[in-house]
Amino acid sequence: MNDFPELENELRALRPARPSPVLFERIEEAMVENCRTSAAADAGWLAKWFRRFAEWSRGDASDIDGQLVRARERGRASQTPYRFGIGLAAAAAAVVLLLARINTDQTRNEDKEIAQVAPASETRPVVPALSGGRDVDRSMSSNKFIPAGATQVVYNTRNEGLQFADGSREPLRRLRYQTQQTWQWRNPSTGASLRVSYPSEEVVLIPVSGQ
Amino acid sequence: MDNIANHENWKSCFSEIGPGLLLFARQWTRSASDAEDIVQEAFVKFWRRNHRIDNRALLYATVRSIALDFIRRDKRRARREATVFADADSTVEPQFEWEDEAQSALAAAVNCLPHDQREVLVLKIWNELTFSEIADALGISQNTAASRYRYALANLKKSLQPQ
Repeated sequence: MNDFPELENELRALRPARPSPVLFERIEEAMVENCRTSAAADAGWLAKWFRRFAEWSRGDASDIDGQLVRARERGRASQTPYRFGIGLAAAAAAVVLLLARINTDQTRNEDKEIAQVAPASETRPVVPALSGGRDVDRSMSSNKFIPAGATQVVYNTRNEGLQFADGSREPLRRLRYQTQQTWQWRNPSTGASLRVSYPSEEVVLIPVSGQ
Repeated sequence: MDNIANHENWKSCFSEIGPGLLLFARQWTRSASDAEDIVQEAFVKFWRRNHRIDNRALLYATVRSIALDFIRRDKRRARREATVFADADSTVEPQFEWEDEAQSALAAAVNCLPHDQREVLVLKIWNELTFSEIADALGISQNTAASRYRYALANLKKSLQPQ
């Protein structure tokens, strides 16, 4: 099969040029970069999920490669509030489920507790001062969280101009509010508190009166 | 050339196979820097997945695939390379370190080989692949690889004979 042993030996004696030292450095950098990228991808999946959810709820879309592409405005006034509503409903459902889980040991004849919508209530005891022995017993045995406060801080408002709703001649001013909502629960018996805080966005359309 | 390497010693592994890889990549490029770009991309991609070079055919197939993608990415380059391959293979020059006139003539003769024969010759002589591995890397049969190799040697012998 091998008819050219001498020629093969001559060819093997001919050595190809060696790679430049720069190539080693470039490969090393690429190796390190790959390790860093994969580690970041592993660690950041949760943050990525939350970011996508937040962007989805305010009207963004993302493609398969994870590159965020701003969704085009579709002209419908109800689009963003609709998405925001779904996001808010999901958050509210999560809160309700959390409360239901926390209050599983709550009996029907317990006094009704009312959430106070004021930041100051966070430091104020919601349950009245305990006086009777019966109340003391109930309080000591209770292990429940009760709503202690809810705040909504508007940290940015943007006027996005006028627009017309479908089939309407009246202009509407489009205002976008960016807020931070916080809910808090307290356990009077142990003093433990639970706080949930999340950013939200709301678009409001206000009719512009004729002048 | 056992080519078994762990994740840390890619440098020693690359020192061993780098020159052959670079020469193989030069089959599709006209400059050493382009060939180095291809080898870098292929080696990093291959090493990240395998952390060893025990499947050499797959490594060379990766180099070949990336080289072809590299050509496709630049259409002007693709047209130029296609013209080069069609008209005269001699302008695609593998780089060798020759020591005398005889080796210089041998290198020039290698550069004048048809592309498909030179490809097999490069894999066989300077990368020490078996015909089975060459067949896997190039997507051809073993018989085709062996016959191209024999044709390459015959053509070299013929071109080196005194007129």
